[in-house]
Amino acid sequence: MKLLSLPERLGLVSYRNQAKSEIKPHIIVDTDICNSTCPHKCTTWVCPANCYTMDEAGKVHFQVEDCIECGTCMYACDQGAVDWNYPDPEIGRGVTWNFG
Amino acid sequence: MEDKFDCIVIGGGVAGLAAAMTLARNNMKFLLIEKGEFPGSKNVSGGVLWGSDLNKLVPNYWEEEDGGWDRFINHRRLTFMDEQSSFSLDFKSSHFNEKPYTGVVVLRSKFDNWLAGKVQEAIDASDFAMDSFIATDIKVDEVIMENDKAVGIKTGEDEFFADSVIIAEGVNNLLTRQVGLQDKYVPADHMLTGIKEIIRFDQKVLEDRFQLNGLSGMSNEFVGWATNGIEGGGFLYTNRDTISLGLVLGLKDLREKKQKPYDVLNHFKQHPTIADAIKGGEVVEYSAHVVSSGDSRVMPKELYKDGILLVGEAANLLMNAGKAIQGMDYAMRSGILAAETIVEAKAKNDYTSATLKEYRKKMDDSYIMKDIKGFQDAVHLLHTDVMQNKVPNLVCDFGRQFFSIKNEPTPKSEKMLLGAIKRHSSLWELAKLGFKARKSL
Repeated sequence: MKLLSLPERLGLVSYRNQAKSEIKPHIIVDTDICNSTCPHKCTTWVCPANCYTMDEAGKVHFQVEDCIECGTCMYACDQGAVDWNYPDPEIGRGVTWNFG
Repeated sequence: MEDKFDCIVIGGGVAGLAAAMTLARNNMKFLLIEKGEFPGSKNVSGGVLWGSDLNKLVPNYWEEEDGGWDRFINHRRLTFMDEQSSFSLDFKSSHFNEKPYTGVVVLRSKFDNWLAGKVQEAIDASDFAMDSFIATDIKVDEVIMENDKAVGIKTGEDEFFADSVIIAEGVNNLLTRQVGLQDKYVPADHMLTGIKEIIRFDQKVLEDRFQLNGLSGMSNEFVGWATNGIEGGGFLYTNRDTISLGLVLGLKDLREKKQKPYDVLNHFKQHPTIADAIKGGEVVEYSAHVVSSGDSRVMPKELYKDGILLVGEAANLLMNAGKAIQGMDYAMRSGILAAETIVEAKAKNDYTSATLKEYRKKMDDSYIMKDIKGFQDAVHLLHTDVMQNKVPNLVCDFGRQFFSIKNEPTPKSEKMLLGAIKRHSSLWELAKLGFKARKSL
């Protein structure tokens, strides 16, 4: 059986308000902390949806669009950079599972 | 405060719905709030609902042609893995075909929604058919506290009031933290991330491959190579025409070993045993969710305070002590016990801790707290390097020798075993393990 890449996997997820051009992010990341004092930048690998990425200069970037509300970053970040919440049902993103 | 409810239940998962069902059956006026489009739409589990409490909530649920559950478990398997091999403890029994079943596999988007339908039926049959509600698409922003007692909830500009609040928000328990029952930051140390794929087959192919009969199903857990050195384990459960295949991975370990969970899942899928099991399947969903480990050090300080009760994963009620991953059954039972306590509180017209502490007592007397308390050592043992790596490698090494038939003189099994022990561990280490295991299991 062919193994799926992460983009292929995320392509199977049903997101809410997908058609909306402007969404309200439900997670606020203070990347200044990631990029100044954080010794590990672990969100760039522990996040199951790869919402946290590291550029060539080693800087952390965050995008909320692919978030599947799992909660991993809220526990993994021990630097106080992640302000985690659930998406607003009307103007947030977030998931609707078909199977769950 | 005319419209005040007896209780507001936050969260339409297994715990919240079990509480709601119990409230409805006891003619209580309540509001259940779910942030998703429908109950279950944001919920993920492995998952097997163990035990027979479902039969209490929905008597003879199996009689329904297409209920919310997928298959009942009559076949269980625990598999030790190394790179090439898998060595299983395998138990199948028609004893488990008897009703009520002792474990059913569920897919939460379907199951929770079905269960919510049953709750609505119970509401319709209650004295508050027009006054109790299941409300979806509402996110609770905070629990309203007055003099440190919960009096309602706030969502956007709206407020709803109640004599009590049952928090069933799940493991990402923001409200539990807001009311001060859990620390503001919970470290990763005793938490795991679960990730899984739903893989679809032709139903006949699935049933033949896993030797299923009618609606019977199999649950298989994996330890060892499956997790690529990360503390945790794997699972495979059979649904109607799909399987749930996934891993639970220690969050602290993922952080320290710098591994991506989806890469570890692909690693697992490449094991020859798994590759054969999933051949020809089509992945139809990928999901992830944090889960608790069962380590009581992470659990909230208390399960109640004035006007508030905590149920299910909001209180980190989940445990894997080696035999099964139990979470949804804890959710169900805690939801039932919390609602029963609210019924008593209404009768006494006292929703303070003086009455709500009875919930704690009911929980302590239940199998949930007895097991969590009694199996802490097993939880710790399961997460040691010996159990995670050495034992699986040793067992597979021994298996490979034991089951190899060569055209040469066969060494005695004891010699094979001693050799395997020496290569992967030591007699002394295993003696210590055996001693610990005997006490903890």
